[in-house]
Formats: sequence, C-alpha cells, structure tokens
Amino acid sequence: MLLNDDEKRILNGEQGEIAQRCMKFLADYGEAAGAEKLVDLDGTVDLHPGPGWVGTYGVSMEEIAKLARKGEKFKVPTFSDKDAAMNVIVDGWEQCGVLPNSDPAYREKRMKELQPFIDMGMIPTFSCTHYLVSSFWPAVGTHSAWVESSAIPWVNAVLGSRSNFDGSFQTAYLGKVPYYDMHITENRAATVLVKCEAELERDMDYDLFGWAVGEALGLKVPALLGIGRPTTTQLVKMNSALNTGGQVRMYHIPGYTPEAPTLEAAFHGRKPKETITITRNDLKRVYELMNYGSSDDVDFVYLGCPHYNIQELQKVAGLLDDRKCSTRLWVMTNPQTYKLAEQAGYRKTIEDSGATLLSGVCAGMLYGVVMPPEGKPNVMATDACKQDYYITGHCHPHKVQVRYGAMEDCVEAAVTGKWKGEWR
Amino acid sequence: MTIQTNKIILRGRKVIGGYAEGEALVSKMPLMGWGNVDAKNGYTVERNHPLYEVPFKGKVLVFTEPRGSGGFVGYGASRMFGTNPIAFLYRKGNNLTVFAAMVMNVPTVTDFDQDPTEVIETGDHVIVNGDEGIVEVIKTANK
Repeated sequence: MLLNDDEKRILNGEQGEIAQRCMKFLADYGEAAGAEKLVDLDGTVDLHPGPGWVGTYGVSMEEIAKLARKGEKFKVPTFSDKDAAMNVIVDGWEQCGVLPNSDPAYREKRMKELQPFIDMGMIPTFSCTHYLVSSFWPAVGTHSAWVESSAIPWVNAVLGSRSNFDGSFQTAYLGKVPYYDMHITENRAATVLVKCEAELERDMDYDLFGWAVGEALGLKVPALLGIGRPTTTQLVKMNSALNTGGQVRMYHIPGYTPEAPTLEAAFHGRKPKETITITRNDLKRVYELMNYGSSDDVDFVYLGCPHYNIQELQKVAGLLDDRKCSTRLWVMTNPQTYKLAEQAGYRKTIEDSGATLLSGVCAGMLYGVVMPPEGKPNVMATDACKQDYYITGHCHPHKVQVRYGAMEDCVEAAVTGKWKGEWR
Repeated sequence: MTIQTNKIILRGRKVIGGYAEGEALVSKMPLMGWGNVDAKNGYTVERNHPLYEVPFKGKVLVFTEPRGSGGFVGYGASRMFGTNPIAFLYRKGNNLTVFAAMVMNVPTVTDFDQDPTEVIETGDHVIVNGDEGIVEVIKTANK
C-alpha cells in the first residue's frame, strides 16, 4: 500500500508514538484489506469509544487522556456509538435492576473514562442510531468511518457518504481510512435487482424484508424495487436487518436514495447480474425463524433495537397509556430522544405502566444479565430481527426462547404475560 | 486399504501471511459474530447454524462470508483463549473479516479463483501458504 510523505512521517514517529501506532494500524489494516492507499476523511466518524478493533494497535484510556490534555482533537465531526466496552446505561440506569449497570460507582467511573474522548471532540450521542439525533450529516460523496449494523447502510445508501465498518479511535484521530470497498465508486453500483412482490405495510414488514434480502445477498449491492416510500422507522428497521441477516452495506431505491435518481443510475448503466423476487412467503419464513417458543409464556419484553425514535416512543406510550405491565418491559432509546420523550410526557406514561425507559445501551450488549441462567426470565419478546437473532447467542449456554412480532404484539405480551402474536 | 488422494490448488489474495496445514472445517453458511460467537470455547453459538458448538480450534476454518455486527472480531478473539483456527479462508470478506484475521494473526487468504467452500470439504487436508495466497487441498474427506 502506498503512503504519502505526510503519512510516512507519521509512520516514522514524527508526530509521536501514539500517532505512529495509529498509522501502523491503518497501514497494516489497509494492506490486509488490499487497499492501494489511505483517503482523508471529509465526512463524519461514528465510533465505539474504546481502544480500537485490533488489540495490538490499541490506545489505552491513559494515552487518550494524555492526548486530550495536550488539546489534541479528532479530525472530523465524531459521534459516539453505544459504549461497547463497559455498556454504560445513560438514562434510566437507576431502575434497570441489573448489576453492574445499576451501580452508581460503576457508571461514574466509566463516564469519567469517557471524558477524554469528549474533550477530543467526540459528541456524546451514545447510540446505535446516532444518525437520527446527530443534527449533522456527512454530505453526499464524502468519506466517512462509521460502525453499527443499521448505521452502515444509513451512511452509504441513505446519505450517500462512503463508509466501511471502521469508526475507531485510530481513524478518528488521524482522520484517514484505507481506500477500498465502499469508498470506491464502482463498488457502490447495484449488481442485483430485488423485486418485492410482498406488500410492505407494517414497520415489521420492512424488518422481515431486510432480513430476507440480506440472507439472499450477503455482501452484494441491490437495487430495491416495489418497497414503496419507507418511513424513517421502516428504513432503520430494514437497514438493521439487511446488515444482520446478511452484510448489505449499500443499496439503492431508485428515485429515492441519493445515488440512484433512476434504475439505470443504480446499476451505473450496466445490466443486473441477477434478479431475485421477495414474496410474502419469504417474509413468513423469516417471521417463523424469529418467532418460536414452547409455550405462550413471555417473561421479558425488549423494545428499541435499533434505539427507538420519537415516533416509536410516542406510539409505545400510546399503547401503554392507562395499562399495567405484568411482565418486565424495557424500552430503549438514545439519550437525546429520551429527553424529548421526557418533555413530551411519554416517559411518564411508559413508567406509569410499570415499564422502564432506558437510553444508551441494549439488551444484547448486556449479554446474559437480563436473562440469567437461574429461574426466569427465559422467554424474551421483541420487535427486532437483529436483537432476536443475537440474544440466544448472548445467553448461551442458557437456552432462552424468543417471540417476535409487531410493537403491538410485544406490548400486549408485556401487559398480559402471554404471547398472542401470529402471522397475518 | 487405499486412500485416493486428489490435489487441488486454489489461488487467492493474502490477508495475513504465514504457513499452516491441517484439517478443514467448512461452513457453507456465513458466520456471524458478536453474541453468536463464543471465543472462549472457540465455536459459533448461532442457533440454526450447521457448525453450532463445533470447535474450530486447530482447524483450517473455511467459510463463505461474514454477516452481521462488528462483533465478528470475536472470531479473532479466540486467539486469546488458544481456541483459534490455524488458518482462516473465506470466499469474500470486508473489514469485519480483516479485523478478525488481524486479531487472530494466522495465515488468512480470500478472493480465490474458485469458491473455497465448493472445493474444500470438512476433513480435507489443507496446506495454506499465506504469503503467496496459495492453498493446496488434498481430498481425503470420506465420501
């Protein structure tokens, strides 16, 4: 891989040992990825605040604090994903009922450790959907470094900024990433035409559709036809499932997403290499993959994967109004939307029902602590394919079961303790 | 007893250099990380996966593609527990597989001239030359 003179100087240690280690990471990562060069970021970074992806090039919290004291800054606007290292619950932690997250000392220690990131310019969004609350988006055609399943298709397909999955301390600090894969124009062309013959109406339909397409396509780039004009909620759900059931980082909706004014533009003027059709049966098959249980009992309900937006919080508050939960219900959002929900009164409505509104983390990131091996809960209900498909792994070897359905089915389960959702 | 052997050469792109040889463990289904990889025990815990709880320690792990979260790097983390594969071969990857390979630090090859999951079967003896991106397959898997 070719480095320019500035990059070589950093690699030779002229900007200090930490910058040198970060450049060594970028050079080795680029080499392993088959990149020809590095590219300067001119978009944004979404990072998991922590030492980085590959331990041998890691930058310790002490080193980051030292850089912050020297007044060093991240090169482009940098937003925080969830705190993957320590799983800090930003709001509602006092009521979460699980350790160590409800321990004030644990939270205080971690917030203190995160301060140097904020001093260097990291904006504390603490969310897998930072892009819904960041109030700043990278422009079309810029180079970004993001992370997170639902966020990667958001940056590439919805915003038209170019990103692989490499938002990390090193990329944010040096403001550079290896130039390969999603950064290169020709790799962003659709190769597969996906025709949706199922009518996508409910938010859940987009989640199921995303999973079905992801499974079929893996890393390929599709153009999606027949999916209507998805709402924000539907796009987030679809993106999350596209990049969990498969690895779809980029797609086009002709006439809707910025790099595809037309179908021809989506394919960069070439013919599709393959065409697939998604039917209602495909959605049903995914529904059945997600929704299973040996009885109707539900003892934990989880909503907010990806972090709920304000429209979803308004809806869930409406469903819970004047009702009481008989089963533990967690509703997860990001810290900014949490405050909005507080102002709007949704938090009170949700909490009056006995449910817990939280921000900044997710059940999966807490691994098995919400469903410990002894006793209950053993059956979780959720409205997200992503959370559904990971939680059984997170709880392994404890065998848990998952019920999947629309938000309405999940709220019903929280109120009655029974699963009544079915495919319709 | 006669064992029929049949040698096949695959050419790909080096991700991580080095030499390794051993028995193949092949997944025709993509691998998923994060909660669905148990680095400590060195196996996938994705429900419905053909390799559910099948240890990859000491094997040449051959698979199609990654899918899902950045927590795919958990396959690499198996190195910290000594449960890692001795080589990592995949049809097509992205930075998820690259990060896992960098953490695992074993010979890793991708972008082959043929689909490795079509050519290599579980049980085949595989010789991996990571530096050259060349993989030699001795077909000894029981038919």
